[in-house]
Amino acid sequence: MTAFRLASRTIRRYRAQTGLAVAGVAVIGALLFDMLLLSRGLLLSFGDLLDRAGFDVRVSGGGGMSLRLPIPDSSSLVAAIRALPEVRRAAEIRIQTAILRTRVGRPVGITLVGADGANEGGWTIVAGTDLTALPAPPPRCPLIVGRPLAVQLGVGPGDAVALAIEPAGTATALPSLECRIVGVAQFAFGTATDDTVATTLGAFHEAAGEVGEDEAELILVSSTREAGPMAAIEAIQRVRPGARAYSNEQVVEQFNRNGFAYFRQISLVLSSLTMAFAFLLVATLLTVSVNQRLGEIAALRAIGIGRARVAAMLLWESALLVGGGGLLAIPLGEILATGLDRILRQMPGLPEQLHFFVFEPRALAIHLVVLATTAIAAAAYPVWLATRLPIAATLRREVVG
Amino acid sequence: MRFIVAALVVGATAVGLAAEPHPILVSRQLAARAHLAVGDRVTLAVDPQGSRRAEFRVAGIYEPTPDPMRFTTARLEAQLHLPDLIDLAADPADPASRESLTALNVALVDPASARQFGVDLQARAPGTQAQRTARSQSDDPFAVLERFHVAISAVTMIGGTAFLLALMVIRAEERRETVGVLRLVGISRRTLLASVALEGVVIASLGAVFGVLLAVATEGLVNAIFQARYDTTLVFVRVTPSIALRAILVAAPLGIVAGLGASWTLLRRNILSIVRR
Repeated sequence: MTAFRLASRTIRRYRAQTGLAVAGVAVIGALLFDMLLLSRGLLLSFGDLLDRAGFDVRVSGGGGMSLRLPIPDSSSLVAAIRALPEVRRAAEIRIQTAILRTRVGRPVGITLVGADGANEGGWTIVAGTDLTALPAPPPRCPLIVGRPLAVQLGVGPGDAVALAIEPAGTATALPSLECRIVGVAQFAFGTATDDTVATTLGAFHEAAGEVGEDEAELILVSSTREAGPMAAIEAIQRVRPGARAYSNEQVVEQFNRNGFAYFRQISLVLSSLTMAFAFLLVATLLTVSVNQRLGEIAALRAIGIGRARVAAMLLWESALLVGGGGLLAIPLGEILATGLDRILRQMPGLPEQLHFFVFEPRALAIHLVVLATTAIAAAAYPVWLATRLPIAATLRREVVG
Repeated sequence: MRFIVAALVVGATAVGLAAEPHPILVSRQLAARAHLAVGDRVTLAVDPQGSRRAEFRVAGIYEPTPDPMRFTTARLEAQLHLPDLIDLAADPADPASRESLTALNVALVDPASARQFGVDLQARAPGTQAQRTARSQSDDPFAVLERFHVAISAVTMIGGTAFLLALMVIRAEERRETVGVLRLVGISRRTLLASVALEGVVIASLGAVFGVLLAVATEGLVNAIFQARYDTTLVFVRVTPSIALRAILVAAPLGIVAGLGASWTLLRRNILSIVRR
């Protein structure tokens, strides 16, 4: 009889304890799997959000990607960037705090985005039309309102609102601009309480009372497939030496170093702990189980089954317990990840479309390697016990006992 | 009143000047990064070109108050007297900038009147925003993290219970014949179940106490690793008496359930099958 058949018979014989051990490994394995998904989940999700926006290079005026300073003489820079052979398209973004007044209700503070060509991927229209497909005659100040804000204000496409720019910390007496909501959208980086409203760059300038002011906060660039983002960055820096241009990968890396490090660390700590926990528990179960079957193992040795086959049998037992639990852990982990993701996404200020637990084949491969290592390590001590067993003395003790 | 500013140190000099520069405090992290010591003279500027700059004297080095919201960022900070900061940062072309503040901290006589205070302030000074320094449960990221950690603990506990149950099943099976003999001499199922439940409580409680001791023993190590990693004095792990008590109180009933569950499969059989007759 092969070692595998011996192991599977033993496991079938002790059904209750096998079932419980597999259930335990499945739960702990699910947690381990989730921690592996968490370790890079935010980065993958964030990178995906950036990529989905349709631009692979971001040019800012300094202060990093979180604190954006205006880009001086941005219009000429955008024109120069659009003329580069490495660039497919470029969009100019202005961001400003503002006040939005509906016909009824209290005025609300909003984040106004003036965008020129950024709509493709920057937001998804859920009702009405986009800024690029305005009804004729086009309104003087068309607005795209974020879904949470539209729900909060009870407004929709066709509604008229008044918009007044109000820079943070500055008293202003700028007159309101009559605007019309043309669409409701889900912004790529919009939060659950998103207060973003987008309009055309022309309407933004008019609302801000700007004439000749030329300081975009952000320029989004899409490189050509042949050139790629790094070549586009080099070309931009040739056009404007000292320009702060970042590829999506560089932005993700910057967030990885700052904002997302905590979750990477906690997933490392928790996955190490769960692995140690799984090892201890499987090793304890196997050791107790071997101690319970010392007579049986001695009898197997006495009828000619060699040390190697007994060792292989115990390794198979460990592999079947950990393997069975590990396989169950994958669907269980997916279910658990959905629940944990829902909890973490309640964190204030996070984009609605950002996820903490993201599946990637690498996580599955690590999960399987870790479980295989755990199975081998957990079987080491029981194997040592079983293979060094004095056959005659053990059998005698069993009979006398 | 002092104000915090993230400023760029463009140079340190030991050249003596006639007028004594105004004092500033620099954070420990900035002092280490810029190799500053008490008494050094530094130049702070509001832009990389150094178009508006002023010289200061390092009067002291301080440890920034740990902030859980900012522990991943290097605390490169300097504290200036407010008039010094205004002189340095105010835009000469905009006289109103000398009258602007980013924030004001207010301690109310009656903290319960915070909401009314905010309404009154906004009525008197339109455009200002008053908010409580204490976060509400709905916008506190740490409340979310706590829920996440509780969920992870619950999952770990379920896994641990399954293993405890498996161990108790093995132990019950080991003592099958002893249990059979005890039943034969007249000891009731209820008494045996009570003894098993007690054993479960003892095992689970000892495990929980060991876990708490392990957590206390490794608390310092975990804190040391994270504090070194993020260069902060923030405490990441703290085993409080209430947490320790909660762990033990949760473990004890699980021990009873595991003990009873494992023994019931054995005890519900008739005596002869227990003694294999």
